[in-house]
Amino acid sequence: MARKSLQTEHEVAPNLIPMVDIMFLLLLFFMLGADMGHRELEVVKLPLAQTVKEDKDDSDIESRLTINVFHLYEPEVICAAYKAEAICRDKTHWRIAMKGKQYADHKLLVKQLQRYADTQGGNPKNPIISEKKLMVRADKSAPFGLVQEVLKDAAMAGMYKIECGAARPTP
Amino acid sequence: MAGTQNIGESSDNPVAINVTAMVDVIFCLCLFFMCSFQFKQLEGKIESWLPKDRGMNVTQVTEALVKEEIRVLMKWNQDTGTTSRSVLNSEPAHLGTDSELLAVIRQRRDEYISQGKTNWPLMIDAQSEVPWQDVIHVMDLCKNENLPRIEFAAPEAAIEGPAG
Repeated sequence: MARKSLQTEHEVAPNLIPMVDIMFLLLLFFMLGADMGHRELEVVKLPLAQTVKEDKDDSDIESRLTINVFHLYEPEVICAAYKAEAICRDKTHWRIAMKGKQYADHKLLVKQLQRYADTQGGNPKNPIISEKKLMVRADKSAPFGLVQEVLKDAAMAGMYKIECGAARPTP
Repeated sequence: MAGTQNIGESSDNPVAINVTAMVDVIFCLCLFFMCSFQFKQLEGKIESWLPKDRGMNVTQVTEALVKEEIRVLMKWNQDTGTTSRSVLNSEPAHLGTDSELLAVIRQRRDEYISQGKTNWPLMIDAQSEVPWQDVIHVMDLCKNENLPRIEFAAPEAAIEGPAG
């Protein structure tokens, strides 16, 4: 007796459209959340403060200068104190940078600040005071002496409006 | 990996779109963004000022002036690994907690206000060893008290004698 062979093969076609939709949403989320902007800013562990004011306007960011006081990163220097979130007092581990350039010589930094603040050529007895703002983004573990040196340089360059970079604590 | 898919029924839509390649690319992109993802830290600023008469000005101060200011002194204690705080010309000499510090600052502020004095700064005078976080914390407390002017004390410059 002839037997009919059972048809066991089924064509399984998964519907990929919802998955593609979700993937697109995920992609959009990661693309928008990616921190691609402000390469002027070094990676700095900012101190926390409740009363920080956020920049409402891009013109604020464009018009001001930013100086970063930051600790060298892991491959360059291995610092047990900094890793343990303690205060690193080794001056060779710290850097001062502005517009992506590091400054070891404070005279050079003053010159650059004067150039940006348009206070070059001022009479030392009657210094030109700049209305331009300077943002100091210093690492929370940095000794105040480092920041003080930057502030001194700013004063030398005729800049007195200082903004201190800080992060709002996460609730 | 995904197989060939037709969007809708083949009878409805005779043009078959192969979504496999697209899914592959999206997976790769997703993987890239997921690996490089870093949450943006909410960042802001605290405004402060430097004294305008320092820096390039070479005028020498011959005698000390009694200044109208609230000067918060911050010293690093090596033994305890903490910052000790005090307010100049105020008691107690060591203000351990934030509330103690704020109480002294409020008292001094009220004294100035009762005397009709409004144009005085709160000066932060910290040792170079003090961590920046502690300095910012004091600034934060003062900003919270709506103190109008927060300034940093410049390190005392050495007064040079006459040349020769």
